[in-house]
Amino acid sequence: MARTESRETPAGSAHHPEIDWVAAEKSPQFRDLVAKKRAFVMPATAFFLVWYFGFIILAGYAPDFMGREFITDGLTVGYVLALTQFVMTWVLGWLYLRRADRVFDPLAARAAEHAREAGAGGARFDRTASTGRGTEEVTPR
Amino acid sequence: MTWVASVNTTALAIFAVVVGITLVVTYFASKRVATATDFWAAGRGLTGPQNGFAIAGDYMSAASFLGIAGLIFLFGFDGFLYSVGFLVAFLTVLFLLAERMRNSGKFTIADVLAFRLKEEPARAAAALGTLTVVAFYLIAQMVGAGVLIEGLVGIDFWLAVVLTGAFMVIYIVAGGMLATSWVQIIKAFLLMSAAIVMTIWVLAKIGWNPLDLFRDARAKSAEGEAYLKPGLFLATPIDTVSLGLGLVLGTAGLPHILMRFFTVPDAKAARSSVMWAMVLIGAFYVMTTALGFGARAILGQAGEESAGATGNFAMPLLADELGGDFFEAIIAGVAFATILAVVAGLVISASGAVAHDIWSNIVRRDRDSEHEEVWVAKIAALAIGAIAIGIAVIGGSGLNVSFMVGLAFAVAASANFPALLLALTWRRFNTTGAITGVLFGVISSVALVIVSPTVWPGPDSEGGLFSWYDLANPGIISIPLGFIGCWLGTMLSTEKVTERTFDELYVRSETGLGAEAGTGLTLTGRGRGTRAATAATSVIPHP
Repeated sequence: MARTESRETPAGSAHHPEIDWVAAEKSPQFRDLVAKKRAFVMPATAFFLVWYFGFIILAGYAPDFMGREFITDGLTVGYVLALTQFVMTWVLGWLYLRRADRVFDPLAARAAEHAREAGAGGARFDRTASTGRGTEEVTPR
Repeated sequence: MTWVASVNTTALAIFAVVVGITLVVTYFASKRVATATDFWAAGRGLTGPQNGFAIAGDYMSAASFLGIAGLIFLFGFDGFLYSVGFLVAFLTVLFLLAERMRNSGKFTIADVLAFRLKEEPARAAAALGTLTVVAFYLIAQMVGAGVLIEGLVGIDFWLAVVLTGAFMVIYIVAGGMLATSWVQIIKAFLLMSAAIVMTIWVLAKIGWNPLDLFRDARAKSAEGEAYLKPGLFLATPIDTVSLGLGLVLGTAGLPHILMRFFTVPDAKAARSSVMWAMVLIGAFYVMTTALGFGARAILGQAGEESAGATGNFAMPLLADELGGDFFEAIIAGVAFATILAVVAGLVISASGAVAHDIWSNIVRRDRDSEHEEVWVAKIAALAIGAIAIGIAVIGGSGLNVSFMVGLAFAVAASANFPALLLALTWRRFNTTGAITGVLFGVISSVALVIVSPTVWPGPDSEGGLFSWYDLANPGIISIPLGFIGCWLGTMLSTEKVTERTFDELYVRSETGLGAEAGTGLTLTGRGRGTRAATAATSVIPHP
C-alpha cells in the first residue's frame, strides 16, 4: 500500500511499520482504554437507540397517544417526547465529551506512549513480525 | 407561482452580495491551498467550532430550511419527525465514527477501508458507495435549487441551475476544501441568523406565547386535531420506523459529512466539532417548529396553494407576510447560500472518490504525483458539476426528486455505514465482505426505491410497482441487508485476514497514534494551526 518511493507522499493513510501494532493492541494500557470507552459508548448507544426508536414506534403505531394533550391545551405528548430527543442528544453529547477529555484522552495518550516506546526501545519489539509485515506492505506491484 | 411576476431585483442584489462574500473567501483560499492535504482536508487546520459550523452548513440543505418547515406547515407533526431523526443521527456519528475517521483516514472514506483490506477492490467499493450517494443527493439539490431560484428570483430554471453549478465548481477548483469549508461556515451563520430572526418575529406576531403556535396552527388547519398528531404525511407505521432507521444511521454514512472530520487537527477537535454541530443543528430544528407551525398560524389554509406540493415556498411566503419584499429577498438569499454550501460539499467528496480513490490509486496505481492528483480532482469537480447541471436541466423542474434525498440516506446507511463500522471494529472483516456489503446495500436500496410508491405514483396514489410492497423508505430492509452482505461475504471468503493491519488500524483509530498530520493551513496564513497538527505526527517521526 505505502508505495512511498513513487511519490512525495503516500496516497492512502501511511502505515507505520516501526511500531509493533500487535503488541500495542495486546498491551494492558490499550485494553484499559478500549474497555473504559466501551463501558460508556455501548450503554449510551443502547440508550439513545431505545429512546429514539421508542419515540418513532409510538409515532408510527400510537398516533392517538402522541396527539393527546399534555398538561395544557395545544401541547401534545408527541411534541414533548420529540423535545426530549433534543435534550437527550445534547446531554449525551456533553457527557461523552466530558468523559473523553477526562478519561479517554489520558488513557489513549498513555497507550500511544507505551506503543511508541516499545517500538523505539526495541526490547519488546518483535522485529521479525514487523519487518515481515513491512515488506509485504511496501512491495510495489 | 403567481406571486413572482418578473425578475425580483432585490433578491438578485442579495444573491449577488452572498456570492460576492463567498468569492472573496474563495480568492483568499485559492492563494493558500498548495498540497493535496490543503485541497481535500483544508490542511487539517480547522478548529472544532469552525468545523462544527461547517458540518452544520454542509448538512442542512434547502430541504432542511425550506423543506422541513414546509412539511410542518403542510402536515404538522410528521414534518418534525424528520428534524428529530436528522439531529439524533449525530450521536451515531459522535459515538461510532467521528474520532475514528479522523485518526485513521486521510482524504476519503475509502482510505479507512483500504488501510486494512485489499486496496483496489476496497477503494472501488467505497467509491461506488460515495458516488451513488452523491449522485442522488446532488441531482435532488440542483433541481431543488433551480425550482427555488426560479420561483424566488424569477430567472429561468436552466439559468438558475447553471449558476448554482458554476459557483459550486468555482469554490472547489479555486479554493478546494478551505474555500468550501468557509462557504459552509458563512452559510451556517446566515442560516442560523435568519432562523432566529424569523422565529422571534413569528413569536412577536402571535403574542409571545409559544403554545399559541400550536393552538393557532391547529385552528387554521383543515385537519384540526389531526394536525398535531403523527400520520398525516407518513401513512403506514412501518414506513415511519423505516424512515427513522434510515435517518439515524444514514448520516453516519454520508461521504461529505464524514470527509469533514479530516479537516481538523486531531480527534479532540473532531468530537468537539460534532458537539458544536449538534447544538447548531438542534437549535435550528427546534426553530423549524416555530417556523412551520408559525407559517400555518399566520398564513393559514390559504397559504397551501402558493406553498407548492411539498411546502417549499412556505418560508418565503411567511417572510413576505412578516417583513415584506425585502425580508423575503433576504430569506431567498439565505436559501441560495444554503444550497451552494451543500452542493460544494457534495462535489468535493465526489472529486475525492474520483481523483484520490479511482484515478490515483486504481488507474495510476500511485505512480502519479500529488500535483497530478489535485489536478485530476479539479477536472473531476468540473466534470461532475457539468454532469449534474446537464441532468438537472434535461430532467427539468418537473423531475421527481422527492425520493432522491431519501435514497441517498438509504444508500449511505445500507452500504457505507456497515462497511466502515465493521472495517474499524470487526477483526474478521475482509475485502470480500466489504464488496458484498456495499453491493447489497446499494442494489437493495436503489431497487426498493425504484419499485416504491414514490417512483410510481399511481392514479390511486397507493402506487408502487407491486401491490404488496408499499414502503417509501427502504431502510428497514436495506440496512440489515447491507450488514448481512458484509457478514456473508466475510464468512464465505477464503481470503487470509491481515490481522496485523487490523491491529494497526484498531490501535490507531482509538489512540490517534500515527494519524495523518496537517499542514497548519488557515484562511489567513500558515502556521498557527500546526501545534495540534504536529502533535499527531510527533508521536512517530515519518520514515
